[in-house]
Amino acid sequence: MTAAPRTAAIDPASVDLRTRMGALELGDPILAASGCFAYGQQFADFMDLRRLAGLSTKGISPKPRFGNPLPRICETASGMLNSIGLENVGAEAFLAEKLPFLRELGVSVWVNFFGEDFAAYVECARLLEAGRGQGIAVLEMNISCPNIKKGGIEFGTVPEVAHRLTRACVDVTDLPIVVKLTPNVADIVGMADAVAQAGAAGVSLINTITGMAIDVRTRRPRIATMYGGLSGPAIKPVALRMVHQVATALPGLAICGMGGIVSGEDALEFIMAGASCVQVGTANFARPDAALVVVDELRARMAELGIASVSEIVGCIRPIAPEAPQVTE
Amino acid sequence: MPSQFSARVDTNRDLGGGYVVLEFAAEGGGLGDVVAGQFAMLRGDWGRELLNPRAFSVLWSAPDGRFAVLLKAYGRGTTRLVASQPGARVTVTGPLGHGFAPPDGVRTQLLVAGGVGLPPLHLQARQSAARGHAGVTELYYGGRNRDDLVMLDDFAAWGVRAVLATEDGSAGIRGFVTAALEERLVEAQRSGEQVEILSCGPTPMLAAVRKIGLRFEVPTWLCLEEEMACGFGVCLGCAVPVHGPRPYLYCCSDGPVFEAKQVRWP
Ligand SMILES: Cc1cc2nc3c(=O)[nH]c(=O)nc-3n(C[C@H](O)[C@H](O)[C@H](O)COP(=O)(O)OP(=O)(O)OC[C@H]3O[C@@H](n4cnc5c(N)ncnc54)[C@H](O)[C@@H]3O)c2cc1C
Ligand SMILES: Cc1cc2nc3c(=O)[nH]c(=O)nc-3n(C[C@H](O)[C@H](O)[C@H](O)COP(=O)(O)O)c2cc1C
Ligand code: FES
Repeated sequence: MTAAPRTAAIDPASVDLRTRMGALELGDPILAASGCFAYGQQFADFMDLRRLAGLSTKGISPKPRFGNPLPRICETASGMLNSIGLENVGAEAFLAEKLPFLRELGVSVWVNFFGEDFAAYVECARLLEAGRGQGIAVLEMNISCPNIKKGGIEFGTVPEVAHRLTRACVDVTDLPIVVKLTPNVADIVGMADAVAQAGAAGVSLINTITGMAIDVRTRRPRIATMYGGLSGPAIKPVALRMVHQVATALPGLAICGMGGIVSGEDALEFIMAGASCVQVGTANFARPDAALVVVDELRARMAELGIASVSEIVGCIRPIAPEAPQVTE
Repeated sequence: MPSQFSARVDTNRDLGGGYVVLEFAAEGGGLGDVVAGQFAMLRGDWGRELLNPRAFSVLWSAPDGRFAVLLKAYGRGTTRLVASQPGARVTVTGPLGHGFAPPDGVRTQLLVAGGVGLPPLHLQARQSAARGHAGVTELYYGGRNRDDLVMLDDFAAWGVRAVLATEDGSAGIRGFVTAALEERLVEAQRSGEQVEILSCGPTPMLAAVRKIGLRFEVPTWLCLEEEMACGFGVCLGCAVPVHGPRPYLYCCSDGPVFEAKQVRWP
């Protein structure tokens, strides 16, 4: 039995949602996640984008990519599988055609990026460095590319390789690099430590979990590449566990948490587990303004619980108190 | 411009054969003017079990925010929607995508429909009739049996000629509707009549219509269905294989209506 902290509800308007992700200051802790927000434009029809604290773009590679055969997505219990194939417009077109729109919004723009091989990662970081001072706040390096072939798996799963890759990218840009880790590893702390040692400004946790769905009538996988990335509420417990493990083992490392966030309470769980900010991904498909809904709900829930500021609860959770010793006689 | 708004089920009308027309009343907003073939994403209060909305072609949309869709229980989302009672709340995003072009008054539009592919063509016929083009609009409508063919009275009321086909011969000609379409195209070829094909229905039917359209060298427009998550060009899940400079376009934002010769199918 663990008693809840005894606190009276407070005025929602007085809740301080400001947070820091390393040196980066954010108006609130809720951002839109990569691949679930494109380059932002389509959302302007449905919401005031300037109300967002920030967003992460679709993953950018040095050259444009066209993506995978179809079907590319399928819905599963409380989640969905995707194998989009990291389709994107390429770094050059991103800087010329997409970034000016994002810059105008005045939100924290995280540019998610990757490369097909080691050199392409470094090349992409170098190309995006040109966007420093043009609206880019963070480079979010996606080292978990389950959907590209060519041995890309090592970047996200072998700590030494991730370390070298991070170091090489940090060396070519003055933008902070937040490394987005894959959950498809045995030791997430080892991976986080490796990229932190290489100069990462923080980590994003988690990308999608590799999964599969089968159509029993046709005896075919439901997505063309056989396996895809699972996202949505189904993965939240795994994401929370990883955020907590990394936050506990590496207290100095800034964490952006994500995986299945749909409500303010979900966001609160991630923050309490140790995330300084979070991203909302799949939920944007059902509600383009999902991130703003999460912000509003977070504020209301914090007020109800008497929590005055985000900063006081980052990583605040404590273990459940030990049981009383059993008397056998 | 699309918007997101909530609506309530106003009526749930059973048409037989598993088909249901759901009429909705918007609570603020609405779809506004809709081009035949445009769709809306609908999501009930499904909690966290079913995440993504489902796409439905708009059957009609009125200026007061009321609109309707035609559907059949298929998987998890449609089964819930078919069972929804008046008063049930849904979140609606739309109108989305690009629909069919209206008749140019010269070419006869042959509307080829099957199953839940009827709504875009029903709306096209409604709008064409309202613009005085009922005479150059014909419906080719196929199903397994008589129960698969719904809303026929509407086409009759609009003065749109309907050619029916059922696999069991219980209504219209026996066999696939594509056979009737081919006969019509032979006739048009002989007389020099200019025609175009607009089609929506099950993918095997669309594949057959596409081949026929290409063979007769008739402009052919297909309203496609792909698995969707967002419906507004963000997730990149609804890829459609195409010919041209890029291997894929997107069903939701570039379509759902595509020209047959552009679609890269076998
Ligand atoms: C542009 C567009 C317009 C559309 N318009 C309409 C419309 O007007 N009316 C309408 O009824 N539908 C329409 N659809 C289709 C409708 O959106 C689908 O029926 C729906 O997406 C399937 O959702 P579900 O929840 O029923 O199935 P889900 O449970 O989500 O199942 C999804 C997938 O699971 C498989 N599956 C599940 N159950 C079955 C089954 N019984 N048989 C075969 N495969 C199965 C299939 O692979 C299917 O793709 C449209 C789709 C698009 C893209
Ligand atoms: C359709 C889709 C595309 C995605 N594309 C990317 C991507 O390009 N780069 C990336 O780092 N993560 C990508 N992700 C992962 C998300 O950013 C996020 O890490 C993951 O989906 C978990 O969060 P969620 O459950 O809130 O969606 C994608 C996810 C989805 C569903
Ligand atoms: S359904 Fe998301 S891009 Fe088309």
